[in-house]
Amino acid sequence: MTYVIGIDIGGTFTDAFVADESGRVAAAKTPSTPPDFAHGFLQVVDDLADSLGIPTRSLLEQTDYIVHGTTTTLNALVTGDVARVGFLTTAGHADSITIMNLEGRYAGLGADKIQDMVRTNKPQPLVPPHLIHEIDERVDYKGTVVVRLDEAATRESVRALLAEGVEAFAVSFLWSFLNPVHEQRAREIIQEEAPGRYVALSSDVSPRIREFSRSVTTIMNTQVGPRLRAYLEPLEASLRDRGLRGSLLVMQGSGGCVTAEDAPARAITTIGSVLTGGVVGCTRLADELGHRNVISTDMGGTTFLTGLVVDGEPVSSTSTVLNQYQVNVPMVDVHTIGAGGGAIAWVDAGGNLHVGPRSAGARPGPACYGEGGTEPTVTDVDLVLGIVNPDNFLGGKKKLHRHLAEEAIRVKIAEPLGMSVESAAAAVYAIQNAQTADLVRKVVVTSGRDPRDFVLYAFGGAGPMHCAAYAADLEVQQVVVPLGTAAAVFSAYGLAASDIALTAEMSQPSNFPPAADEFTGVFEELDRELDARLAAQELKFASVIHNREVDMRYTMQLAEVTTPVLEEVPDLPGMDRLAAQFGDQYERLYGKGAGFADAGLQLITYRTRAIGVLPIRPRLNEASRSPEPPAPGSHRQVLLDPLTGWEEAAIYDYTALARDHEIPGPAVVEAPTTTVAIPRGCRAVVDRLGNLVIHYASN
Amino acid sequence: MPIIPVAGSEEFANQPVTADETRRLLAGKIALHSVAPDLVEGLDPLTYEVIRHRLTSITEEMGEALKKMSGSVVVTDCNDFDAAIMDEVGDVVQVGLYNTELAASLDMAANWTLRNRVDSPGIAPGDMFLCNDPWVGGGLHQSDVSLFAPLFHEGELFAWTGAVAHQVDLGGVSPGSWSVGATDVFWESVPTPPVKIVDGGVIRKDVEDVYLRRSRVPKLVALDLRAKIGANNVAHERLRALIARYGADTVKAVMRRTMDDAERRLRAKLLEIPDGTWSAVAHQDSARAGDDGVYKIVLTLSKTGDRLTFDFTGTDPQVEGLINCTYAGLRGGIMPILLTTLCGDIPWAPGGIYRCLDIISEPGTINNCTFPAGIGKASVASAWATQNVVTECLAGLLDTHVEHRQRLMSVCCGTWDFALLAGVDQRGGGFVTMLCDSMAGGLGARTDSDGVDTGGLACIPMGRIADSEMNEFAFPMLYLWRREEADSGGPGRHRGGVGASSCFIPWDSPIGGVHLVVSAPGKALPLATGISGGMPAGTQYDVLVRNSLVQDLFAQGRIPRSIDELGGDEQLVPTHHETDLGPTDVYFTHWQGGGGYGDPLLREPELVAADVLARKVSPAAAAQVYGVVLDGHATVDHIATNETRNRLRHDRAGIEEGVAR
Repeated sequence: MTYVIGIDIGGTFTDAFVADESGRVAAAKTPSTPPDFAHGFLQVVDDLADSLGIPTRSLLEQTDYIVHGTTTTLNALVTGDVARVGFLTTAGHADSITIMNLEGRYAGLGADKIQDMVRTNKPQPLVPPHLIHEIDERVDYKGTVVVRLDEAATRESVRALLAEGVEAFAVSFLWSFLNPVHEQRAREIIQEEAPGRYVALSSDVSPRIREFSRSVTTIMNTQVGPRLRAYLEPLEASLRDRGLRGSLLVMQGSGGCVTAEDAPARAITTIGSVLTGGVVGCTRLADELGHRNVISTDMGGTTFLTGLVVDGEPVSSTSTVLNQYQVNVPMVDVHTIGAGGGAIAWVDAGGNLHVGPRSAGARPGPACYGEGGTEPTVTDVDLVLGIVNPDNFLGGKKKLHRHLAEEAIRVKIAEPLGMSVESAAAAVYAIQNAQTADLVRKVVVTSGRDPRDFVLYAFGGAGPMHCAAYAADLEVQQVVVPLGTAAAVFSAYGLAASDIALTAEMSQPSNFPPAADEFTGVFEELDRELDARLAAQELKFASVIHNREVDMRYTMQLAEVTTPVLEEVPDLPGMDRLAAQFGDQYERLYGKGAGFADAGLQLITYRTRAIGVLPIRPRLNEASRSPEPPAPGSHRQVLLDPLTGWEEAAIYDYTALARDHEIPGPAVVEAPTTTVAIPRGCRAVVDRLGNLVIHYASN
Repeated sequence: MPIIPVAGSEEFANQPVTADETRRLLAGKIALHSVAPDLVEGLDPLTYEVIRHRLTSITEEMGEALKKMSGSVVVTDCNDFDAAIMDEVGDVVQVGLYNTELAASLDMAANWTLRNRVDSPGIAPGDMFLCNDPWVGGGLHQSDVSLFAPLFHEGELFAWTGAVAHQVDLGGVSPGSWSVGATDVFWESVPTPPVKIVDGGVIRKDVEDVYLRRSRVPKLVALDLRAKIGANNVAHERLRALIARYGADTVKAVMRRTMDDAERRLRAKLLEIPDGTWSAVAHQDSARAGDDGVYKIVLTLSKTGDRLTFDFTGTDPQVEGLINCTYAGLRGGIMPILLTTLCGDIPWAPGGIYRCLDIISEPGTINNCTFPAGIGKASVASAWATQNVVTECLAGLLDTHVEHRQRLMSVCCGTWDFALLAGVDQRGGGFVTMLCDSMAGGLGARTDSDGVDTGGLACIPMGRIADSEMNEFAFPMLYLWRREEADSGGPGRHRGGVGASSCFIPWDSPIGGVHLVVSAPGKALPLATGISGGMPAGTQYDVLVRNSLVQDLFAQGRIPRSIDELGGDEQLVPTHHETDLGPTDVYFTHWQGGGGYGDPLLREPELVAADVLARKVSPAAAAQVYGVVLDGHATVDHIATNETRNRLRHDRAGIEEGVAR
């Protein structure tokens, strides 16, 4: 037997999913064990083996590969527990990482924070000033050396930084992505002075134009690389001890993975490791269900995340914002658009009701948790409106106190506004849903698409309580609440079902079209790099796919648009087709007539993504059928729409439902991990994999 | 030549007109949608919040659309644009978080259009009006071009939407429409009063040609026109959907209540603050090339109950030059600062906020000038200087309240450091661009913390500068450095944010050099004042080095780090200047930081030491201005520091130590 395993470590839970080649699957969940997350990792492997009824050794000996989603790098950056890095950069430009193109004062902040401009600040400097050394050297925009590298001064700087106790070196010179000769020589000098020390060059880590992000990416990579290595090496050794013969793979933010051995050198690519699992899971499920375009919404206790799948692939971007720094890492786009169930409802000084963006977080959490929270949250409202069963929250794991929720709503909302507690709660529920629709809509529209072309997936503990309402506002075709085998460990399922994905890129800015030999030359160089790295993964692939793309722009315009390259060696008409394709893509994103073709085109960056398709693709279990119609376990009063008011809803136990069961709204379905609200006018159907699919009356 | 009055120009000398007066003037000419006050009062919290949130996202979508479609770096990279939703008479309900100076007078432009275009050519669905006449409104100088569009519902004018952006060049004597020699408006870009450029949804080609013909980069300007059309279209589509769902009356009621809410909350905040009067003076050195006069703007701000009165009595008369601003510029000097300091937690609905203030200003003064005074530089000259006095007075006002004082900032980057490059780029194409590096000015200090270093400008919450590599790729230039400058932030108990400098040479242009237009005041005196004993930020400082040794230094493997190393002939650049840079010439421009807060002698000595290590403060300034004595490793000598500070206090008081007071 051959197994594949996905393991996703979040702040609270460590989830695991296993599949064998015959299609048998199992899942396990255990509390995470910070700061030593490896402990929970090994525990959940034991749990998986138990649920398969075999010893851990036997499971690991037969495991082809384990795909791991880890927060190690992200945590290191967020908490600042990173390696002490010395930074070498071009003379005259050391301040680039403190000036931060000035956008560092507000990048990644919400509109409410940006409006409160007086209180905005830049983050702490990435590297303290005394660990930054400016080096005499210069390359110009054509890649020509203007000033030779001052080798003696470089060596002196390295020695001075070593004396300051730096653990690792980051090197980022201007235009190094066009001509890396100075960075490479600097690395030789560092290695002569400090053999074995971790060194990252910007021309390796992120050979892309724009020195600010390139330097930041290189520095952050250097800060977390040694930490990731320190986590993965002992973990892999423990797994080997326990019998693992296959590979340990680490998920990257791009939605594809790399081997644990390769990961530390490109540690920065793993910062989105755990965030992407959910979207990758959606992609696989969408594939099973035949949905090409999906909006994924994950509303948990403290966050609301959304991502898109278009034409069967997750929508990605080429950079992300972390701690207000712009970082160059290809990432599946996961937008944090809200505070989830913990979002606080409040009345402002003008007597207006708002929901979020402030959150009660995990501590003290919603008032109904009884852990000291006094501010009413969305979860409190869900409870008061009868949607959540206080005895069955998170499968009964947490007892909720309705009177505390009511008290918080009364004091903070109802009395100040002169409303009843129940109408205050109903208003908060409706505002939360409308606001969610606004924010999700913005994500979809700014990616150049129309929500009406999508199916919406709703997961997370709180998502299914709200999805029917916000999805209706978005006019999506239907809503899927994943509830089958993988529901509780959706990200881990996504991990187990993923592929190896490596990306190589290089900026070589020029007017378009570039010379044909330059165009093919750059791509051939990227292919050579990727082939070597794929071979180093030592895995059997079912197939290998190379996807080429270029970032192009109209001369002078800010935004480059990533355009797929479909022809291997485009001739002149081929280049015209590429330009036309860019134009189409541009108009889709920015509107008809937006392109400034008269200004001419520029090609800025070449990129290739190599996907090594892994041989095992887990299939989800089919749900069983039942000759009996669905029967509600009970009835209770719920309020799902302020216009309708209170009404009696049938309450169903999900575990008693079977395939093809159909439930008319108003109803509530209580599943082990979540609760699904089905308003009047909707009906929910259990599909072949056990998911609930919500349809609207009009379709 | 003196400024000669122009008969007929009074038609364009626009002043705000109230909603009631507008209705009266338009009676029988156009149907204006309105709602009864009880509908506004009766809105339930749910409906209000849902629609209000949607209006905010519509404004955001307008901004995104404009920014993405625009072709000018000043829009795409520097966010020098804005978008707004207005009610049927033009009152602004919602303004985007971009350059709020620009949106401060969109209401005046839309309202003027209503009153002056309703008969001919008429105002109908699908129309859009273009305006770059700052006497009418909609922008501060001719480079700010606004495009506003009426939205009709069932035959009634329901609302206006507007988009405005700085255009790189709209003609005039000097490239960039920045005619540094201008004595009046006739040297500058032609002001265009509201003209129907989109008629029933179709661009009028004849009108567009009239507009574009004046520009050195007409195609770029044409693209930006389409970007603004796109932004208005996005807003109209979304507003129509909102009306279809909730009804026109409900949507309008929410628009009214948003403005009422902003007004009510600002009044409530003002009531919490003690009454008082604060005054400030802002200076500008030089009105045009060759002029070395100093001109002042005087503000006395009084707060009585829940009202603010901005009295500019004492301000200098308008001058021969390009630095004047119109009444729209005056408002552009007030609104951005009100928004960021008093309204950080209040909806940005200028239509409501304007109701809390009175403005007293004499027409014919430097920040309320009459036609045909030169205004080519208004946005960053008299409008900006107005912002400086407004900042200073509002800081004084806020400082009296224990809670609200956390939202005061000392004066931010005292001026805009304008440097425009034009010529032939390295690929043989013509180009005109404003170097936007100086958008990274220092922000003013706060009551509890330092100003943000290279944190931006007061009127643009989301400024941005391009990477050096992007500028070098796009333009024929090579940077020697771009760095923060020590001592450029105003000293204080809390230090003003530092400014920075760029130093570059022409590089690889086929014609060997580039054309340079400079316009940057604050050279003769500092402009970013401090608050409560804080000191002003350093002055603007630009140097042109002719026949430098830079190529020799490169050949020797050396990148110069200071002007002194460059050799050649060092020339201090005057406030207004236009010249050519040759291949061995170097241009250095050093823009300003923010003012300080509180007495620098009260600053924690450890913070001064950290500033010295981080090169934000020089060791000399640490000793002489902060009175902090450091050893060679920037460790504080507390005893010597106390002695020095005592001595400095005695020096200030003009008494000797040990002498009885």
